[in-house]
Amino acid sequence: MAQGCLKNFNFLADDGLVDTLLMEVADLLENFLAHGRSGSIDLAGLPLSASCLAALEQRLGHGEISAIIRVSGESETRETAFPGVWWTSHADETGRIIAMLIEVTDVPDILRAGKADMARGQIRLQAATSFAQARRTA
Amino acid sequence: MTAADENLGEMLARRGFGRRGLLKFAIAMTSSLALPPGMAVAMADNLAAAKRQSVIWLSFQECTGCLETLLRTDSPTIAALIFDFISLDYQEALMAAAGGAAERTLRQAVAANRGKYLLAIDGSVPLADGGVYSLTGGKSNVSMLQEFAPDAAAILAIGTCAAYGGIPKAHPNPTGAVGVEDVITDKPIVNIPGCPPIPDVLSGVLVHFVSFGRLPALDDRKRPLAYFGTTIHDQCYRKPFYDQGKFAKSFDDEGARQGWCLFELGCKGPTTHNACASLKWNDNTSFPIESGHGCLGCSEPDFWDQEGGFYTSLAGGTGPGWRDAGIAAATGIVLGSAAAISARRNAPKGTTET
Repeated sequence: MAQGCLKNFNFLADDGLVDTLLMEVADLLENFLAHGRSGSIDLAGLPLSASCLAALEQRLGHGEISAIIRVSGESETRETAFPGVWWTSHADETGRIIAMLIEVTDVPDILRAGKADMARGQIRLQAATSFAQARRTA
Repeated sequence: MTAADENLGEMLARRGFGRRGLLKFAIAMTSSLALPPGMAVAMADNLAAAKRQSVIWLSFQECTGCLETLLRTDSPTIAALIFDFISLDYQEALMAAAGGAAERTLRQAVAANRGKYLLAIDGSVPLADGGVYSLTGGKSNVSMLQEFAPDAAAILAIGTCAAYGGIPKAHPNPTGAVGVEDVITDKPIVNIPGCPPIPDVLSGVLVHFVSFGRLPALDDRKRPLAYFGTTIHDQCYRKPFYDQGKFAKSFDDEGARQGWCLFELGCKGPTTHNACASLKWNDNTSFPIESGHGCLGCSEPDFWDQEGGFYTSLAGGTGPGWRDAGIAAATGIVLGSAAAISARRNAPKGTTET
């Protein structure tokens, strides 16, 4: 059975839906540039078929950055051919996709280090350096 | 710092999860709860700062199926750790204490969390004959509900029995079973129906409450809109066959083998609001329709008494060819009995059945 753009609906692919989503991305980008407000589209929340997602991904293309985040399963965020427009997918420990987003921002939040995590890392680093120093003086 | 003092962010860090892990979880939850994705950062921050949420769980006229399905036994995901973080202060089936010690635990938990605890109920509330058909420590379910509901921040009616009366309410309803909302009318109540309910829905409701201090948006039957806003039919992967008029006519015909729509075999997907087709069951493995059986409509009120029964289509009709199904069932019984007799004959002497 030929698959349409809307999941579970029996009509053929409608490129209009992809165009609509691209227009929304353009609006989000305009908003970010004008006001500095990040925005995102929850692709998992839309009834999009796999073929429609693939068409959308192809239209957005690939950019300069790709990052893998290994926490509670694997996540990938990569910049599309449009700077500041990111395609992010999150998988759980079994590899199942639990969230998929288009993010419009300078740096996706998932890449930023948390302050509390940095503070804990600092303590570990201080312990490691003081241990090394103690070994040298011994 | 004691475990009771630490916040969720500290507890997760102790277990090896940092901000990114919590943010990833929040992104998945905002998607699941149909919240704007931009709320994920606020949710992650609020969760990181959250203190333990007290939950008092009372089991009434129930089969323990709801509790069974909600127990997490898989790997220590963040969702499971958040369940650990919830302070389940009273649950008769899970707690070690019994008798007077359990009673004292319940009263201490209520006193320590007055106005703040979530009251979770599974099972219906029997009202007939003064509620004598289900008692705990000599107290009727209805009297316990009336005693502990006033001090709760909100009530979670878990499962179809707690939400609408469920199977105990089925005709002729000898115990006078009703749902929680028929007894308590002046408290925020969220119904999480299903027989059993989907664990992810309870996760979503709990995470929303812990994150934002309020229940998620509900529909007119007090169900979380994000999970019950559409019917199973709307989300069903077999829907294209429905649109094409391709229906299985029996459970073993060519249509069934081709995975066609089960509407004519009594599937209640078109009138049943739930998230089975999207969230699925058993770690997202499948759901009843994917396993070849129509939806029974177990998350709707009075599903057990629906006109025509489980195998009559919503449009009326005759349902499956029961002659064929009867032959298949009889064959299964004969083969099963033969296998059991054979196994018993071959069993070593001295073994006994348990």
